[in-house]
Amino acid sequence: MGRVAIVGVGHSKFGRRTDVNVAELAFESIKGAVEDAGIDKKEIKNVVVGSAGGWYEESLPAVIVNEYAGLDSVGTMRVEAACASGSAALKAACNSIASGEGDIAMAVGVEKMTEVDTMTSVELIGRAGSYTWEFENYGMTFPAYYALYAVAHMNRFGTTEEDMARVAVKAHHYGSMNPNAQFQKEITIEKALGSQVVSWPLKLYDACPLSDGSAAVILASEDVARKLTDTPVWVRGIGYSSDSANLSRRPDYVGLGASVEAARRAYSIAKVEPSSVDVATCHDCFTIAELMAYEDLGFCKKGEGAKMIREGETEIGGRIPVNLDGGLKAKGHPIGATGVSMAVEVTKQLRNEAGSRQAPIKNGIGLVHNVGGTGHYAYVTILSRD
Amino acid sequence: MSGDPALHSRRSLTLRFDIPISRTKEFWDALREGRFVTTKCKECGNVAFPPQADCSRCMSSQFEWVDLGKEATLVTFTRVQITPASFVENDPYVIAIAEFKGGTKALAWLEGVEAEKAKPGMKVKVESRTSKEGNPYYVFVQA
Ligand SMILES: [Zn+2]
Repeated sequence: MGRVAIVGVGHSKFGRRTDVNVAELAFESIKGAVEDAGIDKKEIKNVVVGSAGGWYEESLPAVIVNEYAGLDSVGTMRVEAACASGSAALKAACNSIASGEGDIAMAVGVEKMTEVDTMTSVELIGRAGSYTWEFENYGMTFPAYYALYAVAHMNRFGTTEEDMARVAVKAHHYGSMNPNAQFQKEITIEKALGSQVVSWPLKLYDACPLSDGSAAVILASEDVARKLTDTPVWVRGIGYSSDSANLSRRPDYVGLGASVEAARRAYSIAKVEPSSVDVATCHDCFTIAELMAYEDLGFCKKGEGAKMIREGETEIGGRIPVNLDGGLKAKGHPIGATGVSMAVEVTKQLRNEAGSRQAPIKNGIGLVHNVGGTGHYAYVTILSRD
Repeated sequence: MSGDPALHSRRSLTLRFDIPISRTKEFWDALREGRFVTTKCKECGNVAFPPQADCSRCMSSQFEWVDLGKEATLVTFTRVQITPASFVENDPYVIAIAEFKGGTKALAWLEGVEAEKAKPGMKVKVESRTSKEGNPYYVFVQA
């Protein structure tokens, strides 16, 4: 298998994008990625579109997006791995190059979640478990899924609502420095703790928003990447795994088994240790999810996620800065776009292009952790400068 | 709402599914009689919940129905304050996961207990209910 590098990245503004339709929204990041890579778009032979879909009017987003951007007769597909659809798109695009199918491919993540009313969006995400056994009679919601984890984690390890609020405060702090973030305002612990309960003990400020947004990365084979850029960011390894749709079949509710397994595979393929990661994006769809991610990814021991946030170990200057783009919490979480957006952020960090929210890069290694559903899917992608 | 111009689509779509339950009909029938049963593989002994006619461990399709009893222990729970669109007529509800003897777990509403007073480890029991449309379902109540 050949080596593959990210040679171009593009990112739309995330938020409530009532000014654009899905194709126009995807165009923003595709154009950015093509310009960043310095290629002619006709050189792209394969486009993989990550989008969960259902909340916007188009049923076949891949062809809609390609047509609008003038990507004629490309090989294409839409992939779905719930909130990890973007990482799945990246993996599929990456594989096409590694297998020798072509030299340049693109992964585009796009979602428009606000064209339907909020309660319908809540419903569409809530149905994303085991429909018959969890939704039909019980009306599960996405916050409810993570609240079940939060209560178990609090009960077992003494994690508190304040600890979760600290994650939100950090996210908003870095989000305020990211012009593409949905929320660009700092918040306080008091404000987070005083916000409306969504699914107890999770409150509004524990939850990522409903978002519209897109992100794109252009990938190239080793030879082509070296010709195109002096700063290729290599895809060193992608680990992925899954877990039961039905939550009641899981052994416990204090971590995501799929994340643990995806991370183990990614570290093994990339031959790196958690301790050599300079910067990471973790899937913080809810604040508790970020704390569990620290543990599941091996940044700390099981049960010590709260200690990491309390001690500032995941801020700039800490051991492993996490979500310096504001995370899903403040940057926004347009489901299909998120995994690609994370890869864009880590690429910029590894290129030292993140400006005021730049992490110190020592080993040249970054990590993208992207969860689909409540750990139904998990992807861990390790990127590196060398 | 934003002030951006939008084409407010005139075409709405209602989705309602007829979900096949032939293979696990005994579960729903037993539930109507107040019993909580599930499938046990005759080949490897695997007890599954939700019930399934084909064993996910050994792939055998030979199974028998076993009674899980009524008593369970609360594992985790939440109170859903913001409900999905199709549950807007419901008051906030508590969703729980509880574990039966033998380790089988199920997810259902926890009725009659305030979320603030619930606690992992608490004893609960499973009870049958019938929806106003006539569909059977199950809930947990304090033991
Ligand atoms: Zn079996």
